[in-house]
Amino acid sequence: MSTTNGIIGKSVKRVEDKRFITGRGKYTDDIILPLQTYASFVRSPYAHARILSVDIEAAKAMPGVLAIYTGADVADINGVPCGWLVNFKNGTPMKEPKHPLLVADKARHVGDAVAVVIAETQEKAKDAAQMVMVDYEELPAVVNAAEAVKPGMPSVHDIAPDNICYDWELGNPKAEVDEAMSKAAHITSLEFVNQRLVPNAIEPRSYNAQYDSTSERYTLYTSTQNPHLIRLLMCAFVLGIPEHKVKVVGPDVGGGFGSKIFHYTEEALLTWASKKLKRPVKWTAERTESFLTDAHGRDHITKAEMGFDKDGNILALRVNTYANMGAYLSTFSTCVPTYLHGTLLQGLYTTPKINVDVTAVFTHTTPVDAYRGAGRPEATYLLERLMDLAALEMNIDPAELRLKNFIPPFDGVTQPGYQTQVALQYDSGNYHGVLEKGLAMLGYKDFRKQQKEAAKNGKLLGVGFSTYIEACGIAPSAVVGSLGARAGLYEVGQVRVQPTGKVSVFTGAHSHGQGHETTFAQVVADKLGIPMEDVEIIHGDTESVAFGMGTYGSRSLAVGGSAIVKSIDKIVEKGKKIAAHKLEANADDMEFANGKFTVKGTDKSLSFGDIALTAYVPHIYPKDLEPGLDFSSFYDPTNFTYPFGCHIAVVEVDKETGKVTLKRFIAVDDVGNVINPMIVEGQIHGGVAQGVGQALYEGAEYDNNGQLTNASYMDYCMPRADDLPMFETATQVTPCPHNPLGVKGAGEAGAIGSTPAVVNAVIDALWSGGHKVKDIRMPLKSERVWRAMQTTVN
Amino acid sequence: MQLTGKQVLNASPSKVWEKLMDTNTLARVIPGVTTLERTGENSFVSTLQIKMGPVNGSFSGNLQLEEITEQKNFTLKVQQNSKIGNTNAAIKVDLIPVSSTQTEVSFDGDAQLSGLLAGMGQRVIGGVANTLTKQFFTNLEKELEAS
Repeated sequence: MSTTNGIIGKSVKRVEDKRFITGRGKYTDDIILPLQTYASFVRSPYAHARILSVDIEAAKAMPGVLAIYTGADVADINGVPCGWLVNFKNGTPMKEPKHPLLVADKARHVGDAVAVVIAETQEKAKDAAQMVMVDYEELPAVVNAAEAVKPGMPSVHDIAPDNICYDWELGNPKAEVDEAMSKAAHITSLEFVNQRLVPNAIEPRSYNAQYDSTSERYTLYTSTQNPHLIRLLMCAFVLGIPEHKVKVVGPDVGGGFGSKIFHYTEEALLTWASKKLKRPVKWTAERTESFLTDAHGRDHITKAEMGFDKDGNILALRVNTYANMGAYLSTFSTCVPTYLHGTLLQGLYTTPKINVDVTAVFTHTTPVDAYRGAGRPEATYLLERLMDLAALEMNIDPAELRLKNFIPPFDGVTQPGYQTQVALQYDSGNYHGVLEKGLAMLGYKDFRKQQKEAAKNGKLLGVGFSTYIEACGIAPSAVVGSLGARAGLYEVGQVRVQPTGKVSVFTGAHSHGQGHETTFAQVVADKLGIPMEDVEIIHGDTESVAFGMGTYGSRSLAVGGSAIVKSIDKIVEKGKKIAAHKLEANADDMEFANGKFTVKGTDKSLSFGDIALTAYVPHIYPKDLEPGLDFSSFYDPTNFTYPFGCHIAVVEVDKETGKVTLKRFIAVDDVGNVINPMIVEGQIHGGVAQGVGQALYEGAEYDNNGQLTNASYMDYCMPRADDLPMFETATQVTPCPHNPLGVKGAGEAGAIGSTPAVVNAVIDALWSGGHKVKDIRMPLKSERVWRAMQTTVN
Repeated sequence: MQLTGKQVLNASPSKVWEKLMDTNTLARVIPGVTTLERTGENSFVSTLQIKMGPVNGSFSGNLQLEEITEQKNFTLKVQQNSKIGNTNAAIKVDLIPVSSTQTEVSFDGDAQLSGLLAGMGQRVIGGVANTLTKQFFTNLEKELEAS
């Protein structure tokens, strides 16, 4: 491969920010098409109710109303599919109920769509939606996954009377784990809830569907993270329309955090309705509608036990989890608590015996799916809470306990990858390095002195550790296929060199805040030795981009970037042939560096621009070579990538009120090679803010009737800048050995590592004051911390 | 959502009871009532207009008196629907004589909210309920003084 011109590794300012911060981003809701119409949904106010009748007559008579559709109108259309099949332990397939575009018989969560009104304006659609009279018979609801499986509870779906979607197990046989556990000198056990979170992308979900009766083609503008996947799912599984007749565009998208990966019912419904009406139909969620209908994250109820020998060496880990699926299976919901959670329970440790048992459960709540980290934050929370708690219980230093149990460093090149007990093989790692760096940044020895001093002065100071690993760069298609994925998870990168030497790059990855237009351009400019301004990154349109799998699982650079590098390699190889011909040399004797094709050992060279022009004006040209300089590549990774790191939180707890103040936050992340340090730091900052949000502020609260009682910003507390200290961040670089850029991915790390660090810090602070609390339920609101202090002996 | 409260009124239990059982009085003292019609011995249909912060809407539905013990207690069953959500409540009301001229009225109940009412934050709704309760007692006191 070529040498670089040095742009890789520089904190280049994000090229997309100019349009974003000057209000010129173009989002789906900004798109107004000729003859535009607007949709408004009639949604169930009940979590579980039989729909006795839907009276649309009064609404239909209102001015500007064009159509009203109910569940009966779409009864013959398939529901939206689930993209990942998980089998029961006994081998039978999971229960997979239909998720209809509009419900006809029963509403199964608050916000379930019963009807849609389409009108000339948004206001008219909303007014008429209020006039649709639905007669409900309210039925008892179930919201808690561990409760839902008990006998006699209401069923969400007839096909799963016990509400179990699947049960699943991974790791060593239970008997082996039980035996190892029986030999433990100490067992730390913890029962906890990893609470449900609402994703809260700043841009609500928005769709605008158009049908052109001349060409008989559809266009769907959608605030999505993966346009090609939406097109595939919608065409092939829901509407049965030919894929080549559909164009899906994901324009500027204001954040997703996972919630915009999935194919939502509204996308297919609007596309279907646009043909019925022969007019474009647009819908944008209101904030409370987003709270009720965007797929939520987390929601695990877990019991975990870790056994240690007398010296603190881990002997075994046993895990039982109830994972809440919500009322229907969202696109990737089924793989989150299994293949993105169970497989990560080795953590950074040499734990010899691991068994994880997961039961996925239907409830009368909003569907749950991937949210920043998806399964890996739950795994990290489980392990890292156990480690800090075990350290407290055994009176061993928590850092020392980790260092003792870490997998030794391995580079994955001269040393093999690390085979875990839970299916994965880690690529490369240096776990001691990140923790030691974090301890140095913290000034650990000094901190323990400060903690003692503070305790004397009546203040509770605590430190919490979290060392995490994630499986990113999702994913090797054959591997995920064998685990139940219903799609390949490669990525596509096309590099089109224009005759003038300017370069258009088409990627199937999709940027919705991550900064691909900058990072990817840095890679291309560096590899081709041309200025960044000469590179345009094009994404988010199924017509211009050949194919793609979109953005999630910290995969864009590791998989999408690698596809682009493959195409660049092909461009350079062809360029060498063209240059060799013009310079009357042998292609094997050509080298490419700094934007120049040179005959090795001579000063004979041609610029990249010369070769580009020659490729399109092939007058002096190799006889057996096609003109043009345009290559497309599919890159299917050979393994996941495994970023890791160490997060440390320092908190102060007010003894009188229980209020937690986050004083310091240290993040040392190893995401492999870094293309743009500023963007990586930004990703870490955002992720940490969300992770701290889960620890201290956020959480969807359902009452026993299945009502989401904090479905607005009045009651759902998001972290704000003034809640957070200045983060202290650092990176360590352990390159990924199996992709050409050596990158591992940085999008989710912050949200994965931070949550347990903060909770551990609060527990540590309480123990320092003599309150030997095992767990406080997240979010750690002042009241909960205060109560924990009152109920424990000081 | 729990609904609890109590107030000592300057009237005998029999007087307070009489007022609470009188449709016309109730229509005047319950905040926001636009119509209240008796449909049976102990049942009513009602419409209420309530506007307070995020709670703004026209509620319509049924009120039902059950488990009546003359001059002592009764249970009020409320079922109200609106565009912003529905309410189902059962509220037990107790009259406790304090003296021959004073009666403590206390109530204890549970309201189940749905839709926007539930989602917009029961914290806010709770505040609204408290304010409405105060208004109710103030109005009732005035009625008792006037008679």
